[in-house]
Amino acid sequence: MSFFRPNPQTVKKLRRFREIKRGYYSFIILIIFLLLSLLGELLVNNRAIAVSYQGELYFPTYSAFHPGTDFGLDYPYETNYRELQQVFEDSGSEDWVLMPPVPYSPFENDASSGIFRPEPPSIENKHFLGTDTTSRDILARLFYGTRIALVFSLGFMASVYLIGVMVGCAMGYFGGVFDIISQRLIEIWSNVPFLYMVIIVFSVIPDTFTVNMRILILLTVMVLFSWTSMTYYMRTETYKEKVRDYVSAARIMGASNSRIVFRHILPNVLSTLVTFMPFTIVSAISAITALDFLGFGLPPPTPSLGELLKQGTQTLRTAPWIVTSAFGTLVILLTLVTFIGEAIRESFDPKKFTVYK
Amino acid sequence: MSKVTILRLLATCAFAALLTACGGDSEQTATTEVQDVTQEVQEFYAANPELITFATPEDLPNDLIWEDGMDLPDIGSPEAKKGGTYYDWLEDFPPTLRPTGPDSNSSARNWVSEYFSLTYASPHPDVEGLIPGVAQSWAVSTERKTVYVKIHPDARWTDDVPITADDALFAFFFYLSDYIQAPFTTNYFKNEFSNITKYDDLTFSVTVTRLKPDMATIVLWMPPVPQHFYKELGEDYPERYQWRYAPHAGPYYLQESDIDMGVRLVLRRKENWWAEDHRYYRYRFNPDRISLTVIRDTAKRYESFRRGDLDLYELRTAELWYDETSDTEADVANGYLHKSTFYNQYPRTSWGLWMNSSRPLLDNVDVRLGIQYAINWDVVLRSYFRGDLERLKRQNQGYPEFEHPDLPPRPFDIDKAVAHFGSAGFTERGPDGILVNEQGQRLSFTLSTHYERFSDVFTILKEEAIKAGLEFRIEMMDGAAGFRKALEKQHDMYFVGFVQSPGLYPELSQHMHSKYAYDQAFLEDGSINPDRKVIAQGNNLEVIADYELDQLIDQYIASEDREEMRDLAFQIQQIHYDHASYSPGFVEPFYRTGYWRWVRWPEGFNSKTTVMARELFVHWIDEEMKGETLEARVKGQAFELVNEVYDQYRIE
Repeated sequence: MSFFRPNPQTVKKLRRFREIKRGYYSFIILIIFLLLSLLGELLVNNRAIAVSYQGELYFPTYSAFHPGTDFGLDYPYETNYRELQQVFEDSGSEDWVLMPPVPYSPFENDASSGIFRPEPPSIENKHFLGTDTTSRDILARLFYGTRIALVFSLGFMASVYLIGVMVGCAMGYFGGVFDIISQRLIEIWSNVPFLYMVIIVFSVIPDTFTVNMRILILLTVMVLFSWTSMTYYMRTETYKEKVRDYVSAARIMGASNSRIVFRHILPNVLSTLVTFMPFTIVSAISAITALDFLGFGLPPPTPSLGELLKQGTQTLRTAPWIVTSAFGTLVILLTLVTFIGEAIRESFDPKKFTVYK
Repeated sequence: MSKVTILRLLATCAFAALLTACGGDSEQTATTEVQDVTQEVQEFYAANPELITFATPEDLPNDLIWEDGMDLPDIGSPEAKKGGTYYDWLEDFPPTLRPTGPDSNSSARNWVSEYFSLTYASPHPDVEGLIPGVAQSWAVSTERKTVYVKIHPDARWTDDVPITADDALFAFFFYLSDYIQAPFTTNYFKNEFSNITKYDDLTFSVTVTRLKPDMATIVLWMPPVPQHFYKELGEDYPERYQWRYAPHAGPYYLQESDIDMGVRLVLRRKENWWAEDHRYYRYRFNPDRISLTVIRDTAKRYESFRRGDLDLYELRTAELWYDETSDTEADVANGYLHKSTFYNQYPRTSWGLWMNSSRPLLDNVDVRLGIQYAINWDVVLRSYFRGDLERLKRQNQGYPEFEHPDLPPRPFDIDKAVAHFGSAGFTERGPDGILVNEQGQRLSFTLSTHYERFSDVFTILKEEAIKAGLEFRIEMMDGAAGFRKALEKQHDMYFVGFVQSPGLYPELSQHMHSKYAYDQAFLEDGSINPDRKVIAQGNNLEVIADYELDQLIDQYIASEDREEMRDLAFQIQQIHYDHASYSPGFVEPFYRTGYWRWVRWPEGFNSKTTVMARELFVHWIDEEMKGETLEARVKGQAFELVNEVYDQYRIE
């Protein structure tokens, strides 16, 4: 059995997954969104996709910042490409600017009235979901907030599985004293309250850390306190598989412990793992949103679903579009992942039987 | 802390002392073993005959002119009704009930001590002059630099023990003692007063070291300290008195059963309070009970107010004022929720950014100057505060005679900012537009604060600063932890505002003198002490340590001449301005308050020098109206819309 050449069983499961339309399409939508979000800077950004200035082409999206002076403007800071577009149009020159569909960054304050306050959705201003309390584009903040949440949860899932699977398999495979001691340690460890740990850790890490570093630390802390639940399932499964004939056969043929675990046992317990994955993602997204909502998550002004939700609850009466957008996004996101999870669970269900017609 | 703040602090202490008396055995710490400081106090008196003197009534000079301050206008309204419960909130549960010592300067401080503790006398909130408190009368002798005080014979602590001159004497022992761990207050007492003399049980005099123009206020705006309550004073004072409410001379007290740890405090009005018919107190302190609930989250606090769980709320942000409680909003339009804008006259709270000039990079004056020009307060004032607020001009604004006329706050100016950053070695912009120096250091600082209600201000400042190549990392903290960080000088930049003391001239030492930043900043000869350590107490948040400035401040404090003081103040302000470690923020020339219809106010709303509507307790709760309003709200009956502007004290 190999990881890379799926056996007929797996192929059947995949086919079954594709047949469950709800889950399958959810999966497609989520993958598309994930791909889009990786190219997010081209879609939602205040930097232009391309600028043609005096016959030369510039692609500012991924390059270093261009001060206004690069394009004949009079300021040394980052060019405001929306204004530049206007300048070029007004001057009637051949220069042009191609802006992304949503021409705002998640950080800039852009108020049509000159007063920073929530403004309702407006196609004319290209604030498709309106602006938040300091006139930042909600769509931009949602987009990047969701991207952070998704990447975060994928990273979370991968790390939790890596640790959980290794420790769980080792416990099940080696058994005996190692198993008993590890189990007790895990029981103790899993009783450490996770939220408090996050609060404590965040209160002691130096404020000079970058946002990315902070996200990484948050991820590490969450992983440290979440991998334990995975070990129980893996341990049981490994125990079950360990006594099967094919494991004995492999052992007789001289396979090493690691080869047996990773090449023989692991592929056979994958179905358990896979069915848990989407739900792990759901819990990770909920956790990071909750932490942000409580103010223990990412430092301001990092865009996040939790922060928007919080703003929304503060402006329920005056700016309902904030809470609607944030809540809607969260619901859609979690629903998609849950549909996928349901479909996976069903397609991996061993009780599935065929009906002859 | 300004001088007034100190005085208030002292007042608070007395109040706390009062509280303790009320909850005699509310001690919750393990330190219960009996301890008695009485002997030590007597020894201290005996050992310091210069400072503490005992005399007889015959020793009182004959030429004294006694004043009682009873000819000033009333405070509050004769229509005020006593009774009812007033509901308000606490930002955080007080970390201690002690009015002095570690952690006592918390956000709940006003409630725990300052609002209710009575001093000997205090400035009238509307007009010039002192109104009596614990003192019945006083006399000032400028040639002897002495203020004579007669305590009101009826004056009682909240635990009904009479207040005597012994408590005034004890205050000196208390504040000069190291036990209380309040270096600023101790220092203040050491420097400000040279003698206290007891003439009889109710009469004493205090001699000041310097003949300041406001000498009487300095002496009289100080509370006595209940000796009987602090009997167990000792090394373990912070722990032993942590949760004891000290008796004071004021109208409200806190009993142990009314403390719900971490949740709520309920203050009760004292029945037959000794000063309840007193001219200046009879229309104030009207509710029978004051219920204070801890609500940490700003949004939740506001929602509690809108639900009617809180009686009054400060509608300080433009969003709350214009959007949330607009005149078309049902509760406002139907007249259930009233609003008022009250223009006050008061030294202005020093809202601004305090840069820690002992931190790397920030120790370079060019970096600080660059930051000054990179902070765009204008856009905050214009776009975020919707043009209602004004730019603060300096740290001590509101003392016209003592303000340097030509030190305008630095405007947002990218060119100047970039030029200053350039002189500090930050010449190149990195790929994200933030300046970088040759060593590869980014021009990036942490901006910490605990003012959640202003959090949007910081994100705006951050965005604007990027234009000048400067990055702020914003760190929102909770109240206690944040302010502690600043006091321990662990911050890069901190946003905070200190309430300034009312008075003739500003207090210039607490934020600028090196002794409030370092244990010993300079050696005898004025050179920098290589072993100096930053101290964790003291309000010198900019960590300014300038030998010349220290000298000037000392002279300013010592000066007895108004002209000279002014010149010194100008020099001090000039040095502070050139040091460029404080970026003045904004000023609210008024305060805006929202309150339910049943909270009633005097005709002109409040007194001239108030900074918050609740501060003098001139309002009262009309229980009848409360019932009527709540009923009308259910039925949808409307009353008249009330949105008043009181601009009788507005300065154009």
